[in-house]
Amino acid sequence: MSLEVVLQSIFSAAFIATVIRVSTPLILAGLGGLLSELGGVLNIALEGVMLAAAFTGVIVSGLAPQWLPGAPAWLYAGLGALAGVSVGMAMGWLIAFCHLELKTDLILTGLAMNILAAGGTVFVLFALTGDKGSTASLASARLPAVQLPFVNHVSFIGTLLNGANGAGYHIMSYMALLLVLAIWLFLYHMPAGAHLRATGEAADAAQSAGIDIRQVRYRALVASSFCAALGGLYLSMGYLSLFQANMTAGRGFIALAVVYLGNRNPAGVLLAALIFGAASALGAQVGTLAIPPQLVEMIPPVVTIAALILYSIRRRARRAAAARGFQEQAAAGWSADAARITDAALDGDPQSTAPGTSPSKSGIVEGTNKIQKGR
Amino acid sequence: MVHIKNHKALIEASRAVLVVMIALVIGFVITALVSKEPVRAYAALLTGPLPKVSFAHGVEITNLNRFGNWLEESTTLILLGLAVSLVFGARQFSLGAEGQLLLGALAAAAVAVKMPAPFPLHLLLALGAAGIVGFLWGLIPGLLKAYLAVDEIVCTLMLNVIALQLFDLVLLNWLRDPGASFLGTASFPASVVPPLLIPGTRVSWMLIVMVAAVLGVWFLMARTPFGYALKMVGANRKFAEYGGINARRVIALSMAVSGILAGLAGAHLSLGLLKRLTVSLAPGLGFEGVVVALLARNDPRGVLVTGLFYGYLRTGAQIMERSSDVTREVVLIIQAVIILLVTAERLFPSFQQWRRTRSDGGAIAIDRGLGG
Amino acid sequence: MPARVAMQQISKIYPNGVVANHKVDFAVEKGEIHALVGENGAGKSTLMKLLYGLEQPTHGAIFLEGRRVEIANPQRAIHLGIGMVHQNFMLAPSFTIAENVVLGNEPRKGRLVDHKRAIAITAALSAKFGLQVDPTARIEATPVGMRQRAEILKTLFRGADLLILDEPTAVLTPQETDELFWAVRNLVDQGKTVIFITHKLGEVKEIADRVTVMRHGEVAGRVATREVTEADLARMMVGRAVLLSSYARPAVRGKVVAAVHNLGCIDETGRPVLRNVTFAVHAGEILGVAGVEGNGQSELVEVMAGLRAVATGEIRINGKAVQGASVREMRANGVAHIPEDRLANGVALDASIAENLVVDRYHRPPFTRYGVLWPRSVRQHATALMQQFDIRGAGPGASLRSLSGGNQQKVVAAREFSAAPVLLIAAQPTRGVDIGATEFVHGQLLAKRNAGAAVLLVSADLSEVLRLADRIVVMVKGEIAGILENGPQLTEETLGVYMLGRNRPTP
Repeated sequence: MSLEVVLQSIFSAAFIATVIRVSTPLILAGLGGLLSELGGVLNIALEGVMLAAAFTGVIVSGLAPQWLPGAPAWLYAGLGALAGVSVGMAMGWLIAFCHLELKTDLILTGLAMNILAAGGTVFVLFALTGDKGSTASLASARLPAVQLPFVNHVSFIGTLLNGANGAGYHIMSYMALLLVLAIWLFLYHMPAGAHLRATGEAADAAQSAGIDIRQVRYRALVASSFCAALGGLYLSMGYLSLFQANMTAGRGFIALAVVYLGNRNPAGVLLAALIFGAASALGAQVGTLAIPPQLVEMIPPVVTIAALILYSIRRRARRAAAARGFQEQAAAGWSADAARITDAALDGDPQSTAPGTSPSKSGIVEGTNKIQKGR
Repeated sequence: MVHIKNHKALIEASRAVLVVMIALVIGFVITALVSKEPVRAYAALLTGPLPKVSFAHGVEITNLNRFGNWLEESTTLILLGLAVSLVFGARQFSLGAEGQLLLGALAAAAVAVKMPAPFPLHLLLALGAAGIVGFLWGLIPGLLKAYLAVDEIVCTLMLNVIALQLFDLVLLNWLRDPGASFLGTASFPASVVPPLLIPGTRVSWMLIVMVAAVLGVWFLMARTPFGYALKMVGANRKFAEYGGINARRVIALSMAVSGILAGLAGAHLSLGLLKRLTVSLAPGLGFEGVVVALLARNDPRGVLVTGLFYGYLRTGAQIMERSSDVTREVVLIIQAVIILLVTAERLFPSFQQWRRTRSDGGAIAIDRGLGG
Repeated sequence: MPARVAMQQISKIYPNGVVANHKVDFAVEKGEIHALVGENGAGKSTLMKLLYGLEQPTHGAIFLEGRRVEIANPQRAIHLGIGMVHQNFMLAPSFTIAENVVLGNEPRKGRLVDHKRAIAITAALSAKFGLQVDPTARIEATPVGMRQRAEILKTLFRGADLLILDEPTAVLTPQETDELFWAVRNLVDQGKTVIFITHKLGEVKEIADRVTVMRHGEVAGRVATREVTEADLARMMVGRAVLLSSYARPAVRGKVVAAVHNLGCIDETGRPVLRNVTFAVHAGEILGVAGVEGNGQSELVEVMAGLRAVATGEIRINGKAVQGASVREMRANGVAHIPEDRLANGVALDASIAENLVVDRYHRPPFTRYGVLWPRSVRQHATALMQQFDIRGAGPGASLRSLSGGNQQKVVAAREFSAAPVLLIAAQPTRGVDIGATEFVHGQLLAKRNAGAAVLLVSADLSEVLRLADRIVVMVKGEIAGILENGPQLTEETLGVYMLGRNRPTP
């Protein structure tokens, strides 16, 4: 296959559809990471929550026909999803409880949850099915795709809006987009969103404003886990229709990177998740060329680190520029300033005793205050 | 005052034992929920790794391979635990051991396959390569954190992803044996495989390397100025800087030196255990070092003990899986419980309130601000 | 008419045994400005924490307008009409002023925040009480005075009619202080009651109707301000006649040890914090640095200690240019440093006493020889210093956390005084220290001076500077407003005039 063919396939509607498919769990888990990060309680257990939810969804939807024979199929899928989300949220609550009540370290608690999910899913899987690898033997339900009507006969648009097979995108893909909007609205236009951000940014300020920061943090972790659980459900009840041991394969950690690459806002999370998804989809495409797919898969993590570095360098550069400006100003103006201080003081005009500071008169005091706060 | 110190250490040790006991009990309850014969399963978990000595026909030792499995497993875990204890000791939340382990294994394999040399030299070269690559892969997040304040958690997680891809890339494109039926290198030449210490097992000279590493890290932490500086940076970075310690250098180096140990763990996996390198090498093993270091409270001597303990548990779990209806993953559940219990200050208040600045800085600032 | 606030027989004993308040009676009438003064550690902040529900009293009762109340938390306090403006502003930096003002109580349009109304509310409050702010400006981009006004507006928005201002002028310039006083009077004119915490006696006379003085956790007196002088208040605060300002000084000043020329530097956000600072410290001299806090003194100390980068100018220690040197190089040149926030920067609480005592010297013999650290030397060193400085702890191996606050302070002092410095930088060396320890620290500083060291004493406590310093540098806005010879003729009033930046520098 030639490069041309690959490029053609990349700039096709089908490729875009693939990217959306691959990105969906990253968007969902990324939003989960965002909510926890903005609340000041970074949820490092996204990975474990996804895994546990994916597992629970499959098991419950697969076993539901035994419990409720004869019910419609959508009910089994729905029960599975409900159970998966519940388990995910319960894990979020447990993290919050351990961290806020038992005072465990947040990061280590998250790691423990990841280990618990990795071990617990396989443990229960084996106990229920006698298989340690996957639930292939269990007929589990899928959550539905949503097919948009009337567009399939338009070739490009049809593929773009309903995916390569025309069946439509998975309900969780729509959920992901909906949540991006909903969370944006929540964070910047709803009181509870403001409380969440205030808690993460300045917990003492939030507390003094009468916000119950403990409750906010509980909710942040539970909501965060809710989003991650949806991402996990997508993996086992959409992307695939079975559970495999460790099927999240690090997506929960990628989701954390998505939060930072996305500059800690919902739109950024969407974009960053799509970048990761695109690289992943591209890696699958270039396999046919001489380009090793691993190289392509490395791009997003490299970009994430590069973004972190760039952000830091930009901050430093601003400071260096300020220092240079200050030095030039000092070299040029101090002798004259000193004279002016004396004159002004003699004139008894206190307003002009701070020459050269005109852009921010109280800059000195203000800056000091910042340092003190930082301590 | 020596007395006091020992007393404290005793309390700490007994707390660690208590935590482990509670976790084991919880593990048993969970086992009992799914198993038809939980007692037999748990007995296999707790006694499996011990060799059986029988006196029926003179002294006869059987099940030595299980004992060997225990030591092999522990060697990897202790090296990883040491790696984590160094970065945690400097209060850096580096989670990069996984990537360093992968690349260490890769570097050792590259030397094994591509650089033929006579016996001891070849092995030393391979170990050296693993250590250096681990060092460099740890130095990257170290420098970024120390000098550019790049968050080490995200950075090391991303470096793990990169390392995983790099591992596959190099293995599949340069080191792969085209004649083999699976994706991996050819078997390593004898010149690079560490000689066995206990015949009939895979316990090799790497055990000695591991013990040397424990002693080395202990010496580094207790008896060198660098160790002191690292401890002070971990205890209070501002204080360290105020005292004249170059905290940035210490942070960068702590992560890099930690990488050496993780790289050696990787070399142990590839040279000592597998004797060839294949794709999908022990994912998630890097995080196992966390529980070892945590339980040992970052003390290298403690890492030796907890590493042996945790290796024992993992080996026992494998035996339990083979001889009963319970999977080995029950150990992961026990591990999670241990982490939660160890870090739960409310339950065990005297466990150091470490990394408090990160998680609870706001509250402390309030106390100080109104302290007048 | 019952008092707006009456706190009766209040005691507060912390779990670690510290008695912060002992049988305190405190009352504020409606519509007055009531100053609460006392030295650091006198218990005034604790008392206000109790009133604001941040802490619970161990004994005693609180009455609001004659009704007994339990104030379980700040929410309850807010509900009761009490608002507190903390010294460390409680504002979210990325939020606008309006968002901060309404935080926790946002005006809504349906389920959404009504941003427009939040701005309108803030603007209206701002106009009504004469507290000038830009409602749409982000906190991180506003000057400190505006932040404080935003903080006050926050409490007013919550319906506070009793405002507690915790050392509000500590971070303000004189102009901003004037503006604040004007605003406070305006608040009272509109029926509010204000409790004004401070340790600046001049401000008490200027703004307060009545004053309660606290000392060692107890009330030392409650008076109408017009009936007393500043000296009276000072006596009530310290419990004895105000410190004598004179100490025997050496006849001859030695050679220049530290010379600072045209020093300038900027802070993390790029704002200038020091400019054109030039002075010299001689051997056998204590050079005092006075000024309103936040006028560059902390930064000067950090620069001299090697903790902060220099942007312009030079520093010479014994003639050697050392600007840009690291902390270790500075210390190698003979600089010792007692930091301002000792418990945050001067010690590692979870390390042992012995480890804390060698942080500046662990890399040198006898502690490190042949690249190896010798714990025995570290321990012996600690044992000796603990004896010499009377540090009471379980032994060199005990963690610093296990020591009392005073002994933790002594660990810092022991380390820095024993470093044999040629230049000793002491930043607020007696802050948070009891009288006995204060005498000890003063004695040590004088001993160092008499032994020929140069001492740079930075203190917000004017009486301390006047008591110890041979010469005094006054800093205003990061610049030197004057360098004055100390002597009987120099008074706090004169210094105060310089500190306000109204006097011209001495030639």
